[in-house]
Amino acid sequence: MSLAAVGNWEGPLGALHDVITVCDTAVILYFLAINTGHLMLNLLALGEITRRLRRAPFAGYEDAAGSPFTPPISVIMPAYNEAAGITEAVRAMLLLHYPVFEVIVVDDGSTDGTLEALAEAFDLAEVDHVVPEDVPIRGSVLSLRLPRGGPVPLVVARKENGGKADALNVGINLARYPLVCMVDADSILDSQALLAVAKPFSDDPLRVIASGGVVGIANGCTVEAGRVVEAHVPSDPLGRAQVVEYLRGFFLGRTGWSRIGGLLIIAGAFGLFRRDAVVAVGGMDPDCIGEDAELVVRLHRYMREQGRRNRDYRIVFVTEPISWSEAPSELRVLGRQRRRWQRGLMEILLKHRRMIGNPRYGRVGTVAMPFYVLFELAAPLVELSGLVLMPLGVLLGAVDVAFLWRFLLAAYVYAMIISLVSIAVEEYAYHRFSRWRDVWGAFVGVVVENVGYRQFTAWWRLRGMWDALNRAPQVWGSMARSGFGSEQIPEGGKRT
Amino acid sequence: MIPLDFITGALLYLLAVGLALSLLVTVIRGARTLRRRRRERVAAPVRGLLLELLCAPEEEQGELLERMARIDRRTWTALEPTVAAMLGKVSGRARTALVRLYEMRGSAAQAVADLGSRSAVRRGRAAQVLGQLRHRPATPSLCRLLDDRDREVRLAAARALGRTGDPAAVPHLLRSLHGPRAVSPKIVTAALTSLGADAWHRLAAGLQDPAPLVRAVAVEVLGVTGAIARTPDIVRALREDPETEVRIRAARALGRLGMPDGLEPLLAAIRPGQPAAPRIVAAGALGSLGAEAATGPLAALLGDPDPHVAGTVARALLRLGPPGEAALRGAVRDRPDTRAAAQARAVLAEAAVGGTRHDVLVEVSL
Repeated sequence: MSLAAVGNWEGPLGALHDVITVCDTAVILYFLAINTGHLMLNLLALGEITRRLRRAPFAGYEDAAGSPFTPPISVIMPAYNEAAGITEAVRAMLLLHYPVFEVIVVDDGSTDGTLEALAEAFDLAEVDHVVPEDVPIRGSVLSLRLPRGGPVPLVVARKENGGKADALNVGINLARYPLVCMVDADSILDSQALLAVAKPFSDDPLRVIASGGVVGIANGCTVEAGRVVEAHVPSDPLGRAQVVEYLRGFFLGRTGWSRIGGLLIIAGAFGLFRRDAVVAVGGMDPDCIGEDAELVVRLHRYMREQGRRNRDYRIVFVTEPISWSEAPSELRVLGRQRRRWQRGLMEILLKHRRMIGNPRYGRVGTVAMPFYVLFELAAPLVELSGLVLMPLGVLLGAVDVAFLWRFLLAAYVYAMIISLVSIAVEEYAYHRFSRWRDVWGAFVGVVVENVGYRQFTAWWRLRGMWDALNRAPQVWGSMARSGFGSEQIPEGGKRT
Repeated sequence: MIPLDFITGALLYLLAVGLALSLLVTVIRGARTLRRRRRERVAAPVRGLLLELLCAPEEEQGELLERMARIDRRTWTALEPTVAAMLGKVSGRARTALVRLYEMRGSAAQAVADLGSRSAVRRGRAAQVLGQLRHRPATPSLCRLLDDRDREVRLAAARALGRTGDPAAVPHLLRSLHGPRAVSPKIVTAALTSLGADAWHRLAAGLQDPAPLVRAVAVEVLGVTGAIARTPDIVRALREDPETEVRIRAARALGRLGMPDGLEPLLAAIRPGQPAAPRIVAAGALGSLGAEAATGPLAALLGDPDPHVAGTVARALLRLGPPGEAALRGAVRDRPDTRAAAQARAVLAEAAVGGTRHDVLVEVSL
């Protein structure tokens, strides 16, 4: 027995039966294709990670740490109502292990005393300022503050509220170094983070224009002095599912894309860019809710449209574990986040639709963007359609029950296998999680991610697409933080 | 359509794969833990000996070296990562002892042999080892590796050549900057800088190279390593080189060298009507030079339409000391509502809180 017509179907019901049969077949093929696509990315990533591990002994990290030719970096940290954790965050940034860098905090009109907290902690003094307008900004800079008397490489700008992208643009204008690193105010960076993410710029300075770093989930981790000293898998199912999702999608997925030159997303939580390239494309787009990914797509587009000489560029992903962020622990907060992400994706794909399938844009146009359209944008629609159509197919006799449960089980086990591959690769390559119970927790996360979590996120993502089509007002929601002094990050972050 | 038997078979197969992967994760973790413990156990008895060797006076090192050289292969494999880590951290007598230990165990000879290996990983590791040991006899082999088909091996060879300290590598390093198998200019610059004054003569030849990148790197290294005697060559590069990137580096080099001969060409380089980047660097270099004579020309550019040029000029004036500061105050007083006054006010305010940002923003594309 298989997908088979049962009974005698005629008239409109018969047509519906035929449609359901075709749709169900399409859903089955889609499941197969999406999982195989992710598996291919995982395998590409495995190859790349193995290669990097074998070459690590002669990669020259020690040289970069002590070399006067390691390119200096301006770290830009936009902040909006971050009073709870901003001081510790900036202190941790200033203690990063890197030859020359500065930290630029852009306070985007906070109302919770973020600026006052910084002013007190770092003894800031307001100074007259001239801010170049290399990239356009919306909210004007109200003040600039520097630490009194010391060599602390910190600049704090206060501007009118204009959103994260606008705050980043102010930071880009204030930056005095050739590389700009964009980090979230709640990002926890490993001490070697800048060295790792800047290495591609030293090794291949003529071609690399951007590099992104791995972002892990800080929930449940032990943090001391603004550094993750022990990584753990959180004990709540939502946290576990997100850990697995980050490993599969953000760690291995992006490594795979980077391997074939199709990296479209560098997380706003931690990315490094050539300042001149960012200025050339006009900085961040304040109208796009997924401004981090949009910048990367625009860089691809710009480089490809600049003629043959500029086509030889690279946007790369660094696999070493380097950055940690708090993940939502409440469904409501997670829902808002996923709606926003999906909306951002849809806006980006619509804005740059001429790149999709266009060979002029190389693998980005012919492979990466079609993949994102088919398997990231359309996935929630197909998944939820499948959840409706499959039972309907059973009711109409278009799908055999025995076939259906076996197929569903096979599809989910296939997806779980991909998540298990991610865990196996992490365990083989970086083994960040120190305890055995973290492994068991990750196994639980594999199940939860595929049964329950994914269906919830599919719903939120669908709503995000609706928001984009409706051009609903952009809402970032509250950004309450627990901060990260010396503590264990609560197993539910509070960011949105 | 898909037969039921097929989907059942696929399901069973997938379940088996899932189970195998779960087991694999467990086995990877277990094996790693066991291997770490075994290494610690094996290396423990000789760790003390290693520390003794590092602390021993020269006359006692011979015997300790003999003992260390005789330890069996398994123990050495367990201990070697510690020795390698130590090699990067110690200096003087302790470092010499470790290098000698590697040589006695045949590591240097093995690394030289591995430079010809078919495996890129082995070639890269060999280059790394030879660099760590500063093994000068390997220079010719490492120079050949600069043309290796693997990019990362070429980088490892360049780094190693910087460490060996043999100036004979200079022409090879400069040549490696162009061609289909080019080496990163940042890595080559760092390697050439490590060679120090011994490399100046050969570096100066690079100033005549037809490739702009070679000229730019040669100029940069001469500036960083303090090649005062080469000031006229660098001045010529700033004045005459057709490539902006070379002129940028020449201006920076003159600022670093701090010679009075650099004043005139730097003043010429900041004049309007030229690309912004060399003007910015030249202005910054004038600040480093500290010549009072630069005050007037710099002050005239405080109102430059390019805010990066004007900002750098303001900071350079501040670095000139009292005359520069007076010029800044004059701009605030005499031209209160101008761009020049705004730049001057900003820099004076930075200086008042002690937080002046002297670094010069220049995006060098080479």
